[in-house]
Amino acid sequence: MSRQFQKALFLAPAVLMLTVFFVFPILEALRLSFTNSSGLGDYDYVGFENYVRVFTRSRYFDSFRVTLEFVAIVVVVQTTLGLAFATVLNAMPRIRNLCRAALFMPAMMSFIIVGYVWSFILSPFSGGLNAFLDLMGLSAFKHEWLGDPVTALVLVAIAHVWMFTGYTCAIFLAGYANIPADLEEAARLDGANGWQRFWRIQLPLLAPSFTVNIMLSTIGTMKAFELPFVMTKGGPDGATQTVGLQIIQTLFQEYRFGLASALSIVLLVVVLLVAFVQNRVLRLREDLL
Amino acid sequence: MKISIRQTTRFLAHVLVLGLVAVMLLPVAYMLLMSFRNGQEVVNAPLALPEHWRFENYANAYEKMSYLRSILNSLGITIAVTIAVSFTGALAAYPLSRSKSRSTQIMISLLSLCLATPSFVTITPIYETFARIGLLDSYLGIILAFTALNLPLAVFFYTSFIRAIPKELEEAAELDGCSQFQIFWHVIRPLLGPATATLSLFVMLMVWNDFIYPLLLLTDDKKFTVMMSVYHFVGNHSLNPEELFPAAVLGSLPLLVLFIVFQRRIVNGITAGAVK
Repeated sequence: MSRQFQKALFLAPAVLMLTVFFVFPILEALRLSFTNSSGLGDYDYVGFENYVRVFTRSRYFDSFRVTLEFVAIVVVVQTTLGLAFATVLNAMPRIRNLCRAALFMPAMMSFIIVGYVWSFILSPFSGGLNAFLDLMGLSAFKHEWLGDPVTALVLVAIAHVWMFTGYTCAIFLAGYANIPADLEEAARLDGANGWQRFWRIQLPLLAPSFTVNIMLSTIGTMKAFELPFVMTKGGPDGATQTVGLQIIQTLFQEYRFGLASALSIVLLVVVLLVAFVQNRVLRLREDLL
Repeated sequence: MKISIRQTTRFLAHVLVLGLVAVMLLPVAYMLLMSFRNGQEVVNAPLALPEHWRFENYANAYEKMSYLRSILNSLGITIAVTIAVSFTGALAAYPLSRSKSRSTQIMISLLSLCLATPSFVTITPIYETFARIGLLDSYLGIILAFTALNLPLAVFFYTSFIRAIPKELEEAAELDGCSQFQIFWHVIRPLLGPATATLSLFVMLMVWNDFIYPLLLLTDDKKFTVMMSVYHFVGNHSLNPEELFPAAVLGSLPLLVLFIVFQRRIVNGITAGAVK
């Protein structure tokens, strides 16, 4: 047996699985996106009709805008918070591991459960947040958190950030561990204070961790639908209707498989484009620093 | 005197950071404490601690969720998926870790594409295929789907692990006349234990928490995974605290316990995978 043939045999089971569960479904979704399929029965090819709808109807266009806002909030807040925790914990070896584990814990929970718990915390009447504001004498700030379009999107994003801040923090901590100790020492001997060491030495050397964190959180949130599905069902007034949720609803409430497929394909292309561009830009940034 | 001031500041800084971390865990504490109260108590005093520890909330949720059954379903599916994905994944990872040829590059691009694909892109065609060949609402179907879903990660995971194994071992075996498969089976496979252990934790995390695949592919509540039982029990309409919180605790508890036990392995595994 030639080496090439043996290699092919090793890869065969995996390639078969990937073909059946990824390649074929993606091609099938592409095909369905040009039809008016409703899941059952016959359907016709309708050309680019579904795509025209995706790009012209404000409802679908808005879901892309909502998704981008959601991604932007999550990426910025989660990266900042994760970096802040990692930076202080890096300087506190005694409690580092304990805190890293504690922060990581929410990532073990499912979106469904996190969605339920946060919905209850934010519910207007017996919810924990409003009750807490009452307790602090801040009743003026009480709010129907998930009933207001602006706070709804922000708070769904916060629930997401809450889940994955520990993840981001752990990756930054791994990045800190890779910074050579003598570099730090040299800077200290040269009289650099903590602030200067952070900005001039640590931050540039954390560039690879930034790349990983930003890419993971971007791709992860672009696909998000579970938290809005549980917490707001896309409301109020479409304010938390992400593309993922829009697709799920187009599929299982409206049974418009063709249209849902078109949305999926557009989302897939956007995800791949963003991943590609981010990878290029962030790697370039790593080289420049 | 100066040192003691510095030590005090340092101590206070530690306390502050611990306090902030504790704040991050408040929702978990909230979930635990609320799970022992009934609806009326929560309405009357939303933030009070439990007056009576109402374990009957748990008895009720346990029963109505068919908790034991769904735990066994999740566990069984996890084990089957781990076996399937570790075998297919390690097999594919072996040649990928030892060559940089064009076909390797293509395979790696394919795997990255699969990793980035949102599940709702592929879910309808999978659903239709399963409906056609009778795999809908079967353990085999959900096991195959989860195996495929975990496969790209598994291949990347094993590839980086096998790259770290010295080639000398294989070269010696090759001189002894072993075939590629014999080398894989007798030299590489026995070394993969730790990687498989970590991988099984990821598989468990996904099987336990993923929602969309079982939602679509399973309808028989006897085959429900834990998260499906939680969703089925709590529903999507009224949020009744005495049902919601015990179900949430029961749904998260096994993984939280697992996490506390294997905390280092899980966090290191995930960060190592991400940083490479």
